[in-house]
Amino acid sequence: MSVENTNQWEPKIIVFACNWCTYAAADLAGLNRLEYPAEVRIIRTPCSGRMDPMFVLRAFNRGADGVLLSG
Amino acid sequence: MVAVAQHPNIELITYAEVTAVNGYIGNFTVTIKKKAKYVDWDVCTGCGTCEEKCPTKKLKNEFDLGLGQRTAIHKLFPQAVPGKPYIDAENCLKLTKDKCGICEKICPTEAIRFNDRDEYITEEIGAIVIATGYDLFPWEKAYGEYGYGKYPDVITSLQFERLVSSGGPTGGKIKRPSDNKEPQSVAFIKCVGSRDDAKGKSYCSRACCMYTAKHAFQVKEKMPDSEAYVFYMDVRTAGKNYEEFYQRSVNAGARYIRGRVSKIYPRGDKLVLKSEDTLLGRPIEVEADLVVLATAMVPSEGAEELAKTIGFSTDKDGFYQEAHPKLQPVDTFAAGVYLAGCCQGPKDIPDTVAQASAAAVKVCGVFSKAELPTEPMVSEVNTEKCSGCGFCVPICPYKAISLEEIQERGHHGTITRKAARINSSLCQGCGACVPACRTQALNLKGYTDEQLVAEVDALCL
Amino acid sequence: MKKRVGVFVCDCGTNIASVVDTEKVAEAARKIPGVIFATTYKYMCSDPGQELIRNSIREHELEQVVIASCSPRMHEPTFRKAVEAGGINGYLFEMINIREQDSWVHRNRSQATGKAIDLVRMAVSKVLRNTPLQISSIPITKKALVIGGGIAGMQAALDIADAGYPVVLVEKEASIGGKMAQLDKTFPTMDCAA
Repeated sequence: MSVENTNQWEPKIIVFACNWCTYAAADLAGLNRLEYPAEVRIIRTPCSGRMDPMFVLRAFNRGADGVLLSG
Repeated sequence: MVAVAQHPNIELITYAEVTAVNGYIGNFTVTIKKKAKYVDWDVCTGCGTCEEKCPTKKLKNEFDLGLGQRTAIHKLFPQAVPGKPYIDAENCLKLTKDKCGICEKICPTEAIRFNDRDEYITEEIGAIVIATGYDLFPWEKAYGEYGYGKYPDVITSLQFERLVSSGGPTGGKIKRPSDNKEPQSVAFIKCVGSRDDAKGKSYCSRACCMYTAKHAFQVKEKMPDSEAYVFYMDVRTAGKNYEEFYQRSVNAGARYIRGRVSKIYPRGDKLVLKSEDTLLGRPIEVEADLVVLATAMVPSEGAEELAKTIGFSTDKDGFYQEAHPKLQPVDTFAAGVYLAGCCQGPKDIPDTVAQASAAAVKVCGVFSKAELPTEPMVSEVNTEKCSGCGFCVPICPYKAISLEEIQERGHHGTITRKAARINSSLCQGCGACVPACRTQALNLKGYTDEQLVAEVDALCL
Repeated sequence: MKKRVGVFVCDCGTNIASVVDTEKVAEAARKIPGVIFATTYKYMCSDPGQELIRNSIREHELEQVVIASCSPRMHEPTFRKAVEAGGINGYLFEMINIREQDSWVHRNRSQATGKAIDLVRMAVSKVLRNTPLQISSIPITKKALVIGGGIAGMQAALDIADAGYPVVLVEKEASIGGKMAQLDKTFPTMDCAA
């Protein structure tokens, strides 16, 4: 984890976001300055159809605390 | 209409259907079936003599929705474009029983062709606009309380349009179908089939509030002494000058009653409508001579097959699915195929015209380029790994994958087997095929398994 | 392909820099294996910003580029062109979003900076696995098909035809006009429908 000076444990969430909806929505959240925990990390996918269960297992395997697929 | 027929850039093919669409944006091959008309339109002048002399005169006129009559050889309506007649093969004496043939004898230009057959032509096309419109919800099958269609004086709004139209069967005089009398009171029922989960469709058909306001206004305008009742759930007038138009109708004397009509039954030569006035909170009974149902719009017959032919999807109600409800309202998931009008969802004329112009701009946008660049982030097949199972073919929403025969060198000479092939012009790079591939023969360029796994690893560790 | 990644971190004026310590991100980027150059700039999308990218590619013989700035939904095409102008394939480039999805949604400076560093690491990891891709082109038959001759089909056909392109209008009935031709007057203007 590269976050410094964090005393509090925060779960690491990996988000797989479809470029056309969820990724755009995350941009919209930014435009509206909606705050959410910084430990959320977004990976852009061309479409949720691209998702392979392997990616989810891989994320858990490597220490992700949660995975969100959204599209 | 005439402007379309006269435009030098428009080739009009009527009485025809699109039966096959192959290819992709910029390069479609379209097969069109020209149905047999039994009249050579190149020769016919549209003089109308055949219609006058045709002995089969008492056929239901579909254009007037059964309110008028027509002959077997006929123009769709007097102002038809092109203004040429065709023969209704099912009812023509010559074509069914080999009798008559009068039209052939009297036609001054010898345009009748009893041996005409359906003809198939193909066209090379770069982009497609679909504007197949709507049909009316078959209320006769669903609404027993309105008589299942057994009362002749319960009609649809579209039939009412024919009654008020000067080109219609009554020359624009409002007469009720049962006895041709001028109705003293006309009742309109809105949302028949619309906003009715139980018997009809869940959606609002959008145009009905306004055309019913127009109809009520026309009743008061043409017959000032008559009554116009409008039974409604809500009055929705979201549009420029729409609310004003509705108020004009109310000011002209249209009586709006908030409530659903629960029953229509005859009393003498009148029809009784039972309802509740929900604003007063009490039952109400209205006697009317004519009842007009604002029937829901549904996708036109054959819309679903056309979607399958071209290769894009329909929504839960059978309307064509736009690529994005807000940002791509005229695009479909098939590149180069655009939507206009009610085939995409119920709408009124201003919205339809706006969407049609938007679709036209999309087409012109495609045509404005010398060549179309293709997105390089598309799927690719490793033919060596592909087992030819074909599992990916139905997964692809863009019909971009096909199974093709390939030849390989084996131990005992050349082997012919099947393998997936990607048409990179059709592929939109969604990658849905990749996880579906059991042998990992497919990968999406720019978003390969390796790349995505590398991203996961970099974030997690 | 050699691993010579250049990382460009954009301040976006204060949009990014007020929350994310961009200098720290660049500094951390330099330590990622494969990265040989990293820098920040006030507005990466501006002319001088793009020039910085082009010059750095040549000067440091970069093979891959990562740009940390706004949403790729906005400026990915811009930067892809800039990278190509610098002399490398536009697909040997990755862009990450440290504005809409970082500085605009988080307030804690160290957390936001940490997230930006993570995202840079992710993009570097991906870009090292990118391959050059080529855009090809296909010819266009400049002729349109309109299916349906009602008001929608007629309007679309006329607009396309007026723009100078040939149109084939197919109608299933023997006449065009559709439902529109069956209507009497139409609201709100009460024009005739024909």
